[in-house]
Amino acid sequence: MRAGIMGRGILVGIMVAGIFPVYVAKAQAAPRRIEITAKRFAFEPGEITLKKGQPVVLVLNSKDAAHGLRFRELNVDIKVGANGTKEVQFTPDKVGDFVGHCSVFCGSGHGGMTLTLHVVD
Amino acid sequence: MGRLLALTILALGLAGCKANPAGKVETKTMTFAKHHIFVGNKSQTNPLPSNADTWADGKEAFSHYCVACHGADGQNTGVPFADHISPPIPLLNSKEVQSYTDGQLKWILDNGISPSGMPGSKGTLSDDELWSIIVYLRRLPPAGSQGVPDIYTH
Repeated sequence: MRAGIMGRGILVGIMVAGIFPVYVAKAQAAPRRIEITAKRFAFEPGEITLKKGQPVVLVLNSKDAAHGLRFRELNVDIKVGANGTKEVQFTPDKVGDFVGHCSVFCGSGHGGMTLTLHVVD
Repeated sequence: MGRLLALTILALGLAGCKANPAGKVETKTMTFAKHHIFVGNKSQTNPLPSNADTWADGKEAFSHYCVACHGADGQNTGVPFADHISPPIPLLNSKEVQSYTDGQLKWILDNGISPSGMPGSKGTLSDDELWSIIVYLRRLPPAGSQGVPDIYTH
């Protein structure tokens, strides 16, 4: 009898242990998705504010030629083909203003194609 | 009489258009003037570290735009007109070029050197790319090692 109660207890314990991580995983918020449009020779939006330590997904959509978006200091580099979409997830780990540049040569105004990330606490 | 005068003026005009290679004194004077008077930004330092990553970035950025006149190695390899223009395109590993400070090289990349044919790249390439090109210029690969630029092989 005692062995039966113990067995049932262990079974319930195993079930709870198995289900609990699922709830924990569901409780975590999905990373914020930010859509960015790249078109010769500008990004839209041109400025984005992020929170330090909060994961985000940057989704880069090209509306014409191949483009890229690189933040050297944040170790982020996305490259997208002509009229394509590419995304990258990252977590900003430092506060400050970071200027990203188009990292795929796209023509005469390529050098002025920038996007500023404001990372705040 | 009138025709003769017109022909003489035309001949003199055409003779004036003839370009001769610069002499030693002219070259030395211009080199001095560029290094000490015309090319500014002497004291600015390169914000990028010189390492394998920034060198590779510089090599790539150099390949977008600069190769057409300087070759992929910065030493004019495969550039068909390199020896046929005046002033000639300098070898980027030469003392004339390497004796500029990093800041001066950035100034030249930004603004060009008029009327030598060297165009400014500000706006065409980003600051980050231009500084990485300077990292590449300081450690150019051996002459000929990068082959002929693609634009001249088709």
